[in-house]
Amino acid sequence: MNSPIKKILQFTIQHNTGVIFLVMLIVSAFASDAFFTANNLSNLIRQVAPVGIISMGMLLVILTGGIDLSVGSVVALVGVLCALFTQTLALPVAVAASLVCGILAGSISGYLVSVQKMAPFIATLALMTIARGLGFIFSKGAPVMVDESATALTDFGSGSLLGIPNPAIILLFTFVVTWVLLKYNIYGRILIAIGSNEEAVRLSGVRIWMYKFSVYAVIGGLAAIAGLIGTARTGVGSPNLGVGLELDVIAAVVIGGTNLKGGKGSAVDTFLGVLILGMIGNIMNLMDVASYAQQVIKGLIIILAVLLQRFEGK
Amino acid sequence: MPGKNIENRVELRNISKAFGGVAALKDVTLKAAPGEIHALMGENGAGKSTLMKILSGALQKDGGEIFIDDEKVNIKNTYDSKELGIGIIYQEFSLVPDLTVAENVFFNQLSKGSRWMKWDKLKREAATIINNIGFDINTGVRVSSLSIAQQQIVEIAKALSEKVKVLILDEPSAVLGPTEVQKLFETLHTLKSEGVTIIYISHHLSEIFKIADRVTVLKDGISTQRLLVAETDKETIIKLMLGRSLNAMFPPRNAVVGGEVIRVEDIYVSGKVKGVSLRVRSGEVIGIAGLVGSGRTETVRGIFAADKLSGGKVFVSGKKVNFRSPADAVKQGIGMVPEDRKRQGVLLPLSIKHNVTLANFRGITGKLGFVRFGEENKKSRELIKKLAIKAVNENAPVGSLSGGNQQKVVLAKWFNRDCKVIIIDEPTRGVDVGAKIEIYNLINELAAKGAAVIVISSETAELMGICDWILVMREGKVQGTLEKDEFNEENILRYAIGAS
Ligand SMILES: Nc1ncnc2c1ncn2[C@@H]1O[C@H](COP(=O)(O)OP(=O)(O)OP(=O)(O)O)[C@@H](O)[C@H]1O
Ligand SMILES: [Mg+2]
Repeated sequence: MNSPIKKILQFTIQHNTGVIFLVMLIVSAFASDAFFTANNLSNLIRQVAPVGIISMGMLLVILTGGIDLSVGSVVALVGVLCALFTQTLALPVAVAASLVCGILAGSISGYLVSVQKMAPFIATLALMTIARGLGFIFSKGAPVMVDESATALTDFGSGSLLGIPNPAIILLFTFVVTWVLLKYNIYGRILIAIGSNEEAVRLSGVRIWMYKFSVYAVIGGLAAIAGLIGTARTGVGSPNLGVGLELDVIAAVVIGGTNLKGGKGSAVDTFLGVLILGMIGNIMNLMDVASYAQQVIKGLIIILAVLLQRFEGK
Repeated sequence: MPGKNIENRVELRNISKAFGGVAALKDVTLKAAPGEIHALMGENGAGKSTLMKILSGALQKDGGEIFIDDEKVNIKNTYDSKELGIGIIYQEFSLVPDLTVAENVFFNQLSKGSRWMKWDKLKREAATIINNIGFDINTGVRVSSLSIAQQQIVEIAKALSEKVKVLILDEPSAVLGPTEVQKLFETLHTLKSEGVTIIYISHHLSEIFKIADRVTVLKDGISTQRLLVAETDKETIIKLMLGRSLNAMFPPRNAVVGGEVIRVEDIYVSGKVKGVSLRVRSGEVIGIAGLVGSGRTETVRGIFAADKLSGGKVFVSGKKVNFRSPADAVKQGIGMVPEDRKRQGVLLPLSIKHNVTLANFRGITGKLGFVRFGEENKKSRELIKKLAIKAVNENAPVGSLSGGNQQKVVLAKWFNRDCKVIIIDEPTRGVDVGAKIEIYNLINELAAKGAAVIVISSETAELMGICDWILVMREGKVQGTLEKDEFNEENILRYAIGAS
C-alpha cells in the first residue's frame, strides 16, 4: 500500500487535536485577512479565557470519570455576588469572598459525589439550577453594577500585561499549573488512576473521596475566577451570564481527546480544544456567518474530532 | 457429514503474530482431531492466549494458515469463527457486569434475535444450561454481584448456549475450586463424546493428565512438540515449557515466628462471614481453605475494610483498630492482593510503573508530591526483575501483558510496600509452574522479614506446601484448624464440605 499516505494518516490520528488545530489555523488565515492581526488574536484569547480556565478544571473532573454541569451557573452566581460585595466590602475582601463562594459551590458537588456517592451528572445538575436560582434571587433578576469605588477591578478586567490581556494571562497560568500537575505530580497521576479503575485504586489504599472531592472544589474555584473576570470586564454582575457555558467547556475537553469515561486526557490537547472552539467562533464572526450556522459548524467539528479519536490506538 | 473422514478438526499451521514489532508467536503448529481434548501449555507470555484469539477471530494473524475440518478457512473476525462453530472462553472475562446472568448467557443470540425476548423463558433456559453443567446460580441477578468462580461458570454456560464444534477454554480452572473443576471435567467429557474438539489451557499439570488426550507445548512463541498425554509425564512437559527442570515445588522457609501481629475476633460480614476468629504471628504464613462461596474472600475483605464489618474486632500489634476504609488498613501496614485481578487489581490502560507504585508513593515522590521519575523507573525495573514480569519495559501498558504477568504486577504492587500483614487471595492464579516457585520464595522472604502472611487458595496442595497452619471455612465459619502434621487433602475436604 501507499506508505507515505498511511504515515500521514497515522500521524493525523495520533495527534488529531493538534492537526485539527493547525488546519483551523491555516483555514482561518486564508479565510480572512483580519484573522492574523494582533488585535484579533488578543480578542480571541480574551474571549476564550473563561471557557479555557474552567476547561482545565473540567479536565480534572472528567479524568476521574465525573462531570460538572454547574459551572455556567456558578459563573453567574459569583459574578453577581462579586458585584454585590463591592458595594459593601473592600475590594480585596470582595474578590476573596467571591472566590470562596465558588469553591464552596464546587465543594457541595464534591461532597455529594465523593461522600454521598451521587452520580456526578445528577449532583451537578441539581447544583446548576440551585446556583442559577440563587443568582437571580441575589440580583433580584437584574444586572448588578459594580461599585464605583472598585475601579481597580474594572481596570484589571480590561487591562493587559505586555500586550497580553489579563484574562488570557490567568488562562495561561491555569493551563501551565494543570499541565505540571498531570505530568509531574502524583496528584494528577492518581486522578488518572481513579478514572481508569476506581475500585483497584481504592483497594491500593488511596483515599478516593479526597481526590474526587478536590476536583469539584477546584473547578468551583476556577468557575469563580471566570465569573470574576466576566464582572471585571463588563462592570456588572449579570444573573444571565454563562448559560450553556458548561457545554462549551465540555466540548473543548472532548475535542481535546479526553475520554468521558475517565482515565485519559491531556492538558495540552484540552488547551488546543479551547483554542479550536474559540477559532471557530472568531473566524465565522469575521466572515459574518450567522450565529445559527456557527452552531451547526461547531457541532460538526466536535463530531469530526471524536471520529478521529476513535481510530486512536488501533 | 457422512462419508467424509475428517482427520483434523482444527489445524493451525505456522502461525505468526507480532505486536508492534515484538513477536508473540513465531511459528506455531497445532492439530486436534474431532472429539479430542487437546491441552495447550506454556509459560506465562508464551503466546497461548494470543494463539487462541487468532483462532477465535479476536486477533488477526500475521502469517500461517488455519484449517477447520481439513479445509482452509479465513477467519477475519469473531463472527467468522462463530459461523465455523468455534466457541471460546477467554482468560479475561467478557461478561457485561450490569446485565443479568440470563442476558449474559444468551448475549450473542440477543443481538441476533428478531422477536421480542421473553424474559421468563430466557431466565429458565439459562438456568437449564447452568443446571446441566452441574451448578445452580440465580439467573435473574446481575453478573456484577457474582463471585468470580460463578462468573466463570456463566462464561462456560454462555459458550455452551450455542452449538459448537470446537470449544476453547483459556485457563477456566484458574478461578475455580476443586469441586467446580470436577464438574467442569464431566461437562467436557460429555462434549467430547458428542465429538466436540476441546482446546484446554491450564497451568495445573495434574488437570492435563486427568482430562487431555494430547498436549502441545509452546515456548517463546514456538510450538515445540505435540505429545500423547498417555505417553508422557510431568517432568517432560515442564522441561519443554521452561527449558529446565524444577527442584522442590515448595521451597523451605527459615522464618522465625515471633509475636502476634494481627488478631481477628468473631467478625461478621454481611451474612457471608459469621463469626470468624484468627491470629497470625510475625514470620508465620497461614492459609484459608474452603470451597468457593465459603466466605474466605469475604473474611479477608472484611479485615482489610474493603467491605464493612458488621461485627467483631480486629487488633494489629495488640492494639484494637477500627478501619473505615482500605486506606486506613494500608496505613496500619496491611496489604491485600484481591481475588479479581481485572476488576480489583490492575489498571489495564496504565503502564507497569504506574501500577506497581500505586500502593506506595513515598519512595517515588519528593516535595509537594512531585514524582521523582528516576526513582520510579528504578523501583519499577527492580520489581519487574524480582517477579520476572515479561514485558518490553516498565512503560508497557498492563493490558498488553499476558494474564500470568498481570498477576505478577498486582503482587509487585504489594511487594513494593513493607507490610506487617499481607493478605493474598489466590497468589498464583494463572501463574506458570516455574513462576509459582518464585512467588513462594517471595512469600517466604516476606515472612523471614517478619511479616504475617495470610493466603487464600483453592489449590490445597499450594496451601499445604507453604502454610504453617490452615483454617478451613464453610458457610462463613471456621470449621477446623489444621496443624502441619494434620495436613492432607481428606482433612481439608472433610471440613470444607462438612461430611463427617
Ligand atoms: N495487545 C497486546 N499488545 C502488546 N503485546 C501483547 C498484547 N497481547 C499480548 N501481548 C504479548 O504477547 C505475548 C504472549 O501473550 P499471551 O497472552 O498470548 O501469553 P499466554 O501464553 O496466554 O500467557 P499466560 O499464561 O500468562 O496467560 C506476551 O509477551 C504479551 O506481552
Ligand atoms: Mg493467557
